[in-house]
Amino acid sequence: MDGYSGESGDAPLMTKVLVIDDEAPIRLLCRVNLEAEGMDVIEAADGPSGVDMARDERPDVILLDVMMPGLDGWRVAEQLLEDERTVGIPIIFLTARAEFRDRARGLDIGGVDYVTKPFNPIELAPLVRGLLDRLDRGERDELRAEKLSELRSLMESEA
Amino acid sequence: MSEASQVLWFDAVPLLIVAAAYLGAAAFHPRRGEDLGAQLVYPVLGLVLATYGIVLAATEEPPPGGVWLALAVAGLLAVPPLVALLQRSAPEAREAPSARPALGDGAAEVARALLTQAEELAGVELACLVLVEDETRIGRGLVGRVGGRELDWFGEVQIDLDNEPSGVGTAVFEAAPFAVYDAGASKMVSRRLVDATRARSIAFVPLVVDQRVIAVLVAGSVTEPRAFTDDDLGVLLRAAREHAVALDRARSTAGLAEALERERFVARISSRVRSELDIDDVLRVAVEETARALGVDRCFIRLGAGSDLPTAQWQAAGLGRIDSARQLAASNLAVQRRRTVAVEDVATAEELDEAGLGGRDTLLALGSRSVLAIPIVVFDELLGVLALHRAKPGRWSPPEIALAEAVAGEIGIALRVAQLLRENELQISRQNAFFRIAAVLGQSLSLSDTLDALAQAATDALDGTFAAVLMPRGSELDLAAGAHVPRDVAAALRDGVPESARCLQAAAEDGRVLASPDVTRDDRFEQDWQDLAGRAGYRALIAVPAASPRAERGGLVVVFFSDERRFTDDDLELARHLGDSARGALERSELFEAERTARGLSQQLARTGGVLASELDPAAVLDEVVQQAPELLSADACAVRTVEDDELVVSAASGRGAEEAVGTRTSVTGRLSGDVFQSRSPLALEDASSDERLAEADPIVAAGHVAYLGVPLTGPEGNLAGVLSVYAERPREWRQEEIEALLALGGNTSAALANAELYSRVSLEKERSVAILANIADGIVAVDRDGDVVLWNSAAKEITGVPQEEAIGRTTAQVLQRQLESSDETPSGPRLVSISRGSEEVWLSLSEAVMRDPLGAVAGRIFAFRDISADRMVEQVKSDFVAAVSHELRTPLTSIYGFAETLLRQDIPFGEDERRTFLGYIASESERLTEIVDQLLNVARLDAGDLQVELGRIDVGSVVSELVETVEQSGVMNGHRFELDLPDEPLAAEADPDKVRQVFNILVENALQYSPGGGTVTVGARRNADRVEVRVADEGIGIPAAERERIFRKFYRAESAARDGAAGTGLGLFIARELVTAMGGRIWVDSTEGEGSSFAFELPAARE
Repeated sequence: MDGYSGESGDAPLMTKVLVIDDEAPIRLLCRVNLEAEGMDVIEAADGPSGVDMARDERPDVILLDVMMPGLDGWRVAEQLLEDERTVGIPIIFLTARAEFRDRARGLDIGGVDYVTKPFNPIELAPLVRGLLDRLDRGERDELRAEKLSELRSLMESEA
Repeated sequence: MSEASQVLWFDAVPLLIVAAAYLGAAAFHPRRGEDLGAQLVYPVLGLVLATYGIVLAATEEPPPGGVWLALAVAGLLAVPPLVALLQRSAPEAREAPSARPALGDGAAEVARALLTQAEELAGVELACLVLVEDETRIGRGLVGRVGGRELDWFGEVQIDLDNEPSGVGTAVFEAAPFAVYDAGASKMVSRRLVDATRARSIAFVPLVVDQRVIAVLVAGSVTEPRAFTDDDLGVLLRAAREHAVALDRARSTAGLAEALERERFVARISSRVRSELDIDDVLRVAVEETARALGVDRCFIRLGAGSDLPTAQWQAAGLGRIDSARQLAASNLAVQRRRTVAVEDVATAEELDEAGLGGRDTLLALGSRSVLAIPIVVFDELLGVLALHRAKPGRWSPPEIALAEAVAGEIGIALRVAQLLRENELQISRQNAFFRIAAVLGQSLSLSDTLDALAQAATDALDGTFAAVLMPRGSELDLAAGAHVPRDVAAALRDGVPESARCLQAAAEDGRVLASPDVTRDDRFEQDWQDLAGRAGYRALIAVPAASPRAERGGLVVVFFSDERRFTDDDLELARHLGDSARGALERSELFEAERTARGLSQQLARTGGVLASELDPAAVLDEVVQQAPELLSADACAVRTVEDDELVVSAASGRGAEEAVGTRTSVTGRLSGDVFQSRSPLALEDASSDERLAEADPIVAAGHVAYLGVPLTGPEGNLAGVLSVYAERPREWRQEEIEALLALGGNTSAALANAELYSRVSLEKERSVAILANIADGIVAVDRDGDVVLWNSAAKEITGVPQEEAIGRTTAQVLQRQLESSDETPSGPRLVSISRGSEEVWLSLSEAVMRDPLGAVAGRIFAFRDISADRMVEQVKSDFVAAVSHELRTPLTSIYGFAETLLRQDIPFGEDERRTFLGYIASESERLTEIVDQLLNVARLDAGDLQVELGRIDVGSVVSELVETVEQSGVMNGHRFELDLPDEPLAAEADPDKVRQVFNILVENALQYSPGGGTVTVGARRNADRVEVRVADEGIGIPAAERERIFRKFYRAESAARDGAAGTGLGLFIARELVTAMGGRIWVDSTEGEGSSFAFELPAARE
């Protein structure tokens, strides 16, 4: 791990990312690429353990897969947002569903952004960082509004 | 006095006097013959006393006891006969004044006393007293004397105080005495008086009482003029004063007596006239009494304006009766003026010349000179006039007038009373008759009872012997009711009024009363009827029209009398009243009968209607109608004609001639039924027998029916369908209610016929509809206005799973837990509606039609639906498939692409292990991708029917265990563990080993995927008869029963899987099934939700 730790060694300042996905290769993909950027990554293989982990570990951000057996991503997000301990944690959906309605649903539930599979893992860390910066500036609502209008213009261009 | 003369005077003379008294008493005793004293004692005593008296006178010897004793005895004895004598003379004395109550007898005495006093004190030769009558302003001579001799004419002197210069008048006005020296020259003094008395000088002295001059004393000298001094006048005035009060009293007494006498007279007349109930007697008594009382020559009473003859008259002997009273002017004037007319002298009475009164000549011709006429007025009503005539002219004194007026008043009252009495009697008797009529006629309501009562009432009211009520039937009058009608008369009237009494028929038609006082001498009746009268025992009859106001023709009540009878106005009045009462009673009874008939008819109609309504065969309807119609109207026959090719055909008939009539045809323009058909309205004939042609037109009429009633029959579309007619054997009236009832029956018949025809059509229709509905693939459900299911076809049962018997009568919401009715007023186009069939959701494409009643309200709905769950599922499944495939393809792609990018990163120095891991993932995920693509290709191939199976003998057990091993090694176990359940011996099957592997893989992957909590996956295989069964059981989420079949369909994924976002294309089980089927096997699943699923497939065992 030391070999490819990031520019900051200051543990308390490390960004903690929780990845919830039933696919082991995808969890690994996220871990490798985020840790390379100096982030702390924790993993959960299914919904219920993801929810527990989010409560216990209080990650800065959660990457959440939608299509999971058992408790799916939508319901995990709902549980997280219902819990005051986790309500403030921004959620980025990872989804293999290409339909706009699925993406819109994520934002509706309370996600701040979404990433469509397949994605370029190198872009994951800048995405997380940019997001957190804007959230630090208190632009959470603007962010969601932006994403929604982006989605709308995409949908309109498709139609 | 000597003893002898003493005896003579004191003994003999008294005795003789007493004796005379006794004898006188005996002779003059008023009750001679009854009284013993008068009959015997008095004469005997008288004779004895007389003898003794003579003896004493002759002997001159004193009787024993002396003179005084004899005197005393004589005195005592004298009392009874004197009393008797006095008793006799006393009544004569009392009666005397009343015998002739001449005016002023008392007054005359006073007058004479006064005159005597005046003659003596003032020394006058002429002395008269003139009474003053205040009311009439007349001075009336009372007593006059010249030289002590009474002037007999003076009593008749009358002086007009106001208009005649008399001196008396002046004395009255002045109320003071005065004297005229030269009476002959004075203008103040009455010339008549002066001439009659030859007075030279006259003094007038008023007699004043209570400041009122009641009389004037006229005193004068006859021989030579005399100047009356104040002393003279004073003397006369004193004398006058002394006698004034006495005169006044005497006069008042006389006036009173006169008034009393008049009253007595009037009372006598009054009591006589009032006690006479017969008016003629009253009047006769009145004229006689009045004439006698007033001493007139004629007295008559004329009543009423129109009568010429006096109603009653009396005339003095020798005078002729009055033949014509119309031209008697005084009476006429009295009537005209309504007040008393007193004519002093007809010859000079010019008021009688007034036009129209009759002139004076008539009166003069009767020999009447003075006339008194008094109108008889009672309560302002002029009844007549009372007239009194005298042959001599003369003034009518007020008492006479008063008396006559009082008599007239009494007569008036008596007349009035008698009149009232008579009217009352008439009224009472008439009223009694009326009451009887009213009471009898008021009791009964039914027509027959009313007619019976009418006959009885007529007999009673007119006091007849018997009575018959004849009412119209057809053109005849029929004997409808009677009271005590003799058999002969009843027989004569049985077939209507006979020709010999046609006038009765005419009276009924004209509505007038016919009275025949003696039938046998009445030429209005012919011989037969007159003979009948003799046989049946009647002489007189009166026929009173009795018609109901509703009837066109009237009837008659004929009352028969056993004796000849003169009909009075009262009888006729009573007859008219009877007619009126009968009219009222008949009307009431008509109404009652109409109501009763109507009620009866409507009840009967309702019954008939009920019977007809239940009849479903047209022929049976007609048979029923021809039976019911005569019953309904109490008729004898009936026919129903229906129209066929411009002809009326008798389709059904009942009654006499019915059999022959059925099937006969007549033209629609023919008579009777043809008329009904043409006019489209009822035709009622009371008697068709008069017209021969009618019998030709109708076989039932020809069969002996005379009364006809026909109504049109109307078809369902308002078209004319035929004629319904009823017949009666006797002429009869068809009442309006009956016509309406037959119309109603006609309506019922039409409706029943239409119903019957409709029924056969509808039952056919219904069978057809039921067949169609049963075979139609769509579910058809009909609900009524309340939403309750009334129709539920077999397709509906198939689609919803609810049997018809459960659905009928309940709402769709109750049956399907979902309301099918749309909220739209007018549903348009099919809608998509989901219902649950058991636990399964079924999608329906639902069409709805709303049925409305004529008012626009919803009367029901019809739903047609088909199950499009399959179609819908395909849509859903396709969309899910796209999403699933997208996921299935993107997931491995993400890893492949991601790890490739990661490896390409320059900034991270990966170790060899890491690289290997990354590349390993790239490889395995690529393989996974390939598998998915293969699956898709497999499906494409299966769709194209391009599946190749190479069957061979394989050992299923070893194939299964090899595969389990492979899976365990691949590291996808994810917390699961396998348990193998294989028999020791090989399980040989006839199958394609690749395909078996493929199927097994699919089942294992599913088992792992759908038991996310891990657990045991049991894999087993066994021989089952000629089959080899492989089973993969997990402890996962299980599959709902509803989905156990569907999961084998293409693209279908368990709902929970799709919902949870589980991976999978939905192709695995489809492919598995296709492969197993291709190898001649089958695949199925057993599952308990929440506990796990157990998939199994079997393959044909390899033959040994």
